[in-house]
Amino acid sequence: MPLLDVRGLRTYYSTLKGDVKAVDDVDLWMERGEALGLVGESGCGKTTLALAIMGLLPWNGRIVDGKILIDDVDVVGMDEKSFETGYRWRRMSYVFQGAMNALNPVFKVGDQIAEAILIHESVRKDEAQGRAQELLGLVGMDPERAASYPHELSGGMKQRAMIAMALACNPEIVIADEPTTALDVIVQAQVLSLIRGLKEKLDLSMMLITHDLSVVADTCSTLAIMYAGKMVEHADIETTYAEPAHPYTKALISAFPSIREERRELNSISGAPPNLLDPPTGCRFHPRCPFRMEICKREEPEYLELKKKHFAACHLLA
Amino acid sequence: MEGEEVELRVIDLKKWFPVRKGVLSSVISRKREYVQAVDGVSFEVRRGEIFGLAGESGCGKTTTGKTILRLLEPTSGEVYFQGEDVLALGKSEMKQLRQKMQIIYQDPYESLNPRMTVFDIISEPISVHKLADSSSEVQEIVFKTLEDVELVPPGEFIYRFPHELSGGQRQRVAVARALVLEPSFIVADEPISMLDVSIRAGILRVMLRSREAREISYIFITHDLAYARHICHRGAIMYLGKIVEMSPMDRLVKNPLHPYTAALMAAVPVPDPRLEHARAVIGGEVPTPINPPSGCRFHPRCPKATDGCDREEPEIIEVEKDHFVACHRAA
Repeated sequence: MPLLDVRGLRTYYSTLKGDVKAVDDVDLWMERGEALGLVGESGCGKTTLALAIMGLLPWNGRIVDGKILIDDVDVVGMDEKSFETGYRWRRMSYVFQGAMNALNPVFKVGDQIAEAILIHESVRKDEAQGRAQELLGLVGMDPERAASYPHELSGGMKQRAMIAMALACNPEIVIADEPTTALDVIVQAQVLSLIRGLKEKLDLSMMLITHDLSVVADTCSTLAIMYAGKMVEHADIETTYAEPAHPYTKALISAFPSIREERRELNSISGAPPNLLDPPTGCRFHPRCPFRMEICKREEPEYLELKKKHFAACHLLA
Repeated sequence: MEGEEVELRVIDLKKWFPVRKGVLSSVISRKREYVQAVDGVSFEVRRGEIFGLAGESGCGKTTTGKTILRLLEPTSGEVYFQGEDVLALGKSEMKQLRQKMQIIYQDPYESLNPRMTVFDIISEPISVHKLADSSSEVQEIVFKTLEDVELVPPGEFIYRFPHELSGGQRQRVAVARALVLEPSFIVADEPISMLDVSIRAGILRVMLRSREAREISYIFITHDLAYARHICHRGAIMYLGKIVEMSPMDRLVKNPLHPYTAALMAAVPVPDPRLEHARAVIGGEVPTPINPPSGCRFHPRCPKATDGCDREEPEIIEVEKDHFVACHRAA
């Protein structure tokens, strides 16, 4: 039984122009101890999916349908109080995108971490602050930095502090949303190796959300790929690279440059990702797909298990 | 392909920005402080070549690009474009030269005027430089340029405003605006970093095709070494306002001689799970360029630093043909 199991989730945002179907009938699961990479282009619904799992959707977003099972307990529609005391930040936590701006500039970093502990656990203030210092040590910072304000920290250190905060209540599941996107390459390598180390050390189950295939290749064991609000492929990462099944996965991999390859012409996918107010009929990738058939315009492909633990949604594979 | 003819030569270019201080501290200390954004950079770009300028944020790569075009006035140094001393030109001569030297900015959401249609955006340079005699000629040039950047059919795009375009289409308009003057040199400042991976190669293709058709030379400014590897012929790595290494791209990737270049290359993650992880072989982060470290600016983070590195600044020397390094320990 997976630790996290999302079934048929639909999450829409209401806007003046109608519903934006950001996540539309998505299945996703994660085993205990897994490092799952959730990859897709901007606007494909990956962050919305994560926010739905965390119960942190903005005011105009709502879960329309589907289940989010954590250890077989459905948390969709659970009352806010039990969700808050039992799940959010306790069993699962979230490292927000753009750590640079996610910290409060007028409070010391240590106090911000301690606050997260104080809200969820009945401990004394000095205990919480001691824990905050330990956490900073855990993410490779000088515990004395607890007394620093965010503007006194470099970008890499802010990202480390955000990770420390996510670990404040000893969660089992950590969802990290583009944790290295704004960082320079050397600092990115430092943070990725920190994440790999913490996952092992604390026995975390981790979901890493990114648009960058090289980041998941470096950190994750399984890979789920989203396109326009739908899941298109899900398999372990070696399989995805060795035998990608979905045309979108293939195209994305060949569009991505590697520094280790010889110089080559990079491929692109024609067109642009669709507007989710009015997504294409049938398979949502069909307008950009080089292999499209008549049926792709009419019918939505089923999300099928091709081989053991290798799922994809494409008419070519049916 | 890349000729040996030099299109652009930059010699010891410097751009220092004064640091603004409060009233009190300026009374106490008269000493002015500067951000040494670009501090003595020399290189050349050959005709038809794509020259990469890479480095982490704050290393001075964008400032270098803007200073070459005199969008920022340099503190000192020399810039020669097709043999002409760019910094000696007066205002009207500079305006003429700008027809040949163009720039493409990083963010297509900010670099296009939201109140202008695509037609206006692309035709404005034509009228500024009086390149057409009649409005039908203007239209012809605009349509042709839109076709070049694959915004087809052009008729469908000319009346649109930037907000009616996708990010990739906007960046194509920005490329068209640069190409419409038929320049021979373009500074492309992170032209794809704001775009989705699946459409980046399309924008690059449009830029590169124009290079082949019209022998345009490019300075390609980027923080993404994987893209630089596939696009650039030669490249320079910058650190705190200085070029630390410069060579053909292939050698820069496979045989980096400067410890900083080696650290950068090792840190680039590889999109292939079968290969080893990216490694951070050095710790710390880039220090502020206000009071950069003495001697070699990289010495506090350098795994190979020895005694002299903190005192003496290394000169950039040609260690093998076309391969320049500024490091005491590399020679």
